[in-house]
Amino acid sequence: MNKTESIREIAKKLLEEKKVDLVVGFAQGSLPLRSTPYFARTPEQADNLIWGATCENNLANFVRKRSEKVAVIAKGCDVRAIVALIKEGQVNRENLTIIGIPCEGMVDRKQICQAVGCKEILEATDNGADLVVKGKGFEQTLAKADVMFGSCKTCQYNTPVIFDELVGEKVEAKEADYADIEAFEALSPAERSAFIAKEMEKCIRCYACRQACPMCYCSECFVDCGAPAWIGKGADKVDDNALFQTVRVLHLAGRCVDCGACERACPVGIKLSILNRKMVKDVKELFGAEAGVNLEDPPALNTHQFDDKEDFML
Amino acid sequence: MRNPYLPLPMKLVKNFTETSDKLIHTFTLEYQNEQDAENFKYEPGQFAELMVYGKGEAPFGIASSPTEKGILKFSVAKVGVVSTALHMLQEGTTVGVRGPLGNSYPLEQLKGKSLTIIGGGFAFTTLRSTIQYILDPANRGDYGDLTVIYGARNPGLLLYKDELAAWDARSDINLITTIDREVEGWNGRVGFIPTVTKEVAPKTDYAIICGPPVMIKFTMPVLVECGFTPERIIMSLENRMKCGIGMCGRCNVGSKYVCKDGPVFTKEQLDKLPNEY
Amino acid sequence: MILNKSEVTNILDKLASEYRVIAPVEKNGMVEFAAIQKGEEAKLDYANSKKPGKEILFPQSEELFNYTVDAEGLRMEDKVDSQASIIFGMRPCDVKSWVLLDNVFKNDQYTDVYYLTRRANSLVVGLGCNEPASTCFCSSVACGPFAKEGSDIFLTDIGEAYVVEGISEKGKELLAKLGLSEAGAEATAAAAKLQAEVKADGTINIEGMAEKLSGMFEHPYWDSLHEKCIGCGACTYLCPTCHCFDIADEATDCDGCRVRNWDACMFPLFTLHGSGHNPRPTGKARWRQRLMHKFNYFVERYNATACVGCGRCIKNCPVNLDIRQALADIQALD
Repeated sequence: MNKTESIREIAKKLLEEKKVDLVVGFAQGSLPLRSTPYFARTPEQADNLIWGATCENNLANFVRKRSEKVAVIAKGCDVRAIVALIKEGQVNRENLTIIGIPCEGMVDRKQICQAVGCKEILEATDNGADLVVKGKGFEQTLAKADVMFGSCKTCQYNTPVIFDELVGEKVEAKEADYADIEAFEALSPAERSAFIAKEMEKCIRCYACRQACPMCYCSECFVDCGAPAWIGKGADKVDDNALFQTVRVLHLAGRCVDCGACERACPVGIKLSILNRKMVKDVKELFGAEAGVNLEDPPALNTHQFDDKEDFML
Repeated sequence: MRNPYLPLPMKLVKNFTETSDKLIHTFTLEYQNEQDAENFKYEPGQFAELMVYGKGEAPFGIASSPTEKGILKFSVAKVGVVSTALHMLQEGTTVGVRGPLGNSYPLEQLKGKSLTIIGGGFAFTTLRSTIQYILDPANRGDYGDLTVIYGARNPGLLLYKDELAAWDARSDINLITTIDREVEGWNGRVGFIPTVTKEVAPKTDYAIICGPPVMIKFTMPVLVECGFTPERIIMSLENRMKCGIGMCGRCNVGSKYVCKDGPVFTKEQLDKLPNEY
Repeated sequence: MILNKSEVTNILDKLASEYRVIAPVEKNGMVEFAAIQKGEEAKLDYANSKKPGKEILFPQSEELFNYTVDAEGLRMEDKVDSQASIIFGMRPCDVKSWVLLDNVFKNDQYTDVYYLTRRANSLVVGLGCNEPASTCFCSSVACGPFAKEGSDIFLTDIGEAYVVEGISEKGKELLAKLGLSEAGAEATAAAAKLQAEVKADGTINIEGMAEKLSGMFEHPYWDSLHEKCIGCGACTYLCPTCHCFDIADEATDCDGCRVRNWDACMFPLFTLHGSGHNPRPTGKARWRQRLMHKFNYFVERYNATACVGCGRCIKNCPVNLDIRQALADIQALD
């Protein structure tokens, strides 16, 4: 039985036995290389659930503050977010059934697009290790490993850290790799500043990053606050765009689960992971903390030790 | 092309604390250019955007009546950025005013008719404009009996206390004021607007009503019970607005923009629109 | 008339010496419309721009006026942009969006001088689409890959050259000045063939949609449509017909400016009253608004559908909420 079939079977059973009211998972999307979040409430609807290398959204986003009994189809990073949300009181573990999927990584449409010269892809077939993409007058085979999201290429928690059911075999975790961040750190301050400015110039302030982030759930985001108006709302001011992302990253210090949902959601392709992963790396190095990797560790911001490093403070 | 986004300058001549909780102030503004006084022609029910320099602008119903020449009045609750800034302004400061905006109560159509005016809380502003207009010696003869039912949570929160007293002393207006809960020294009625309206059981040709959504919701059936048909119930909506000229898109109820097609609608019109206000 | 592709740069250079020429250019890996100084900056072999053509007339952030307050009172300086512009190579969907937006920015009482002044001083050279994308459905919504509505001049790409048609008087006048040669019979036939044959997806059925939606405000369909929406503004900001905006002040002491920024019905704050009351408090109400606005309210107000079928919302939605599917679902409801 493949993962899609197993997921359907488990979901159907949970719904039939009324153990849950809702299964949050993925259905086939309307475009090649796309899946779409799906909400199954009947055993029949469970037949629309799928699993594949395009299930890129972080579904933890849909399980916060639910009153009904919910099951969620969750890959490694989704579960890290769920764990972090449980600790923050946003998810009631009692009411949540986690159908964990050891994840082999999701493919990045932007990289695939570039690999085929940005021609329109009309069909895509997943052959396990390879992806065959077709368009008008071309067909190309790509190794999935080459076109995976950056966050997936370096994922150390492919296999969910907690689950009620696990679909498929555990996947070997990858080695921690912050080569991208090290390269960024190696730049001069002026170069880093120029890099960020160039990225932030693209921003249209649609807030897809914030909305896609399972950990961004403030009832009033500082960006939206009118009194005081902390930040200009226009997208034409690169500094304000950068300030928005900077504060977002700081709000996610010790909370970001490095799932990459923000960067995936960005319609203009801003490399948000550089900022987020820099923070993830720093928190790990300075405080030995990683968000959502187990239920026991207290959240990094909730703990203080006298020997905590403070040398980053000005 | 006239630019509808440019405000005209007015001088704040009075910043008056209207309510005991100090959260509502009434601002009296004077035109800085005589020409503006000529051009700013408004009717009761219309609103304008008030601008505080550096803070922005926000829409408020015009509380003065066109019969009060040379000034504009606004009673503003302290809820947002602009209203908070307004509350802190020194008398003599220049503010910006953009308007008049929106439609008005159909006072031309109401000539010769008897009216009941019902207001709650600080939404009484454009109703004050209407009452002042009707009570003006030049206009009073054009309208029939006038009943006003006005309520607030407590006596201190009633607006325009001096005027209420003056109206109460007149014989050509039947003023009923009410507060939510009994307090010492209060001689008026006690009870929520819908209950009081039911007790008063107005029998006029038209009813004009303005107040918080919950008051409207519960008063509406009472008016229907009293025999008011939907085209004879007139109300004013308060959706969030920005441009005030039917373009920025936020204040719509169905295909109607509250800022331009309203804020005044009859119940008959609203019954045909989605319940999204 | 005919314009050889090898001549385009020269023509654009010539136009740029007299007008502000706004053309598709590549920047940060995306195509966007920008003023060009030299013809070679234009990238005409593009599918469509990331941000829609609306931003030329209605920029995402725009200074309306700035002001000073001092002892002498209030002084304002209006920022109306009246520079004569040629928009070169805009796709028919974006051109059509201007025609639709004209309804919004001028009503029986008010004129938005910022939009309308730019509009009056713009000449549009539309560019037909030989290869509509799979997400394009302009042919379903009173537009099409070769729809000329709104264009002053229209270009059809026949390979080595563009066949050039003067559409409006304004367009014809400009063409007269450019001195292009007449298109031969073969070129004219090639253009006619493309215009007749190339279609985008025409299967999205919006017939009777406005009427159907009129009775659907309370329908349970809205309970499910929004469910996967995460509430960002990607669809609205990248939509060529979405036109909601916010007005704010940016100021230091007594010098300030009034700006307007795009806003979106997808954001809860868009409709939140100062009192805390929100007429559209849920994702359900907001998605209903978005769909209703395009396919019912706008139709009722201006007798046109506020969608040009460009497919940007489909391509850019982070959760693949596909408006075509929503429309098909609605048509299928009893």
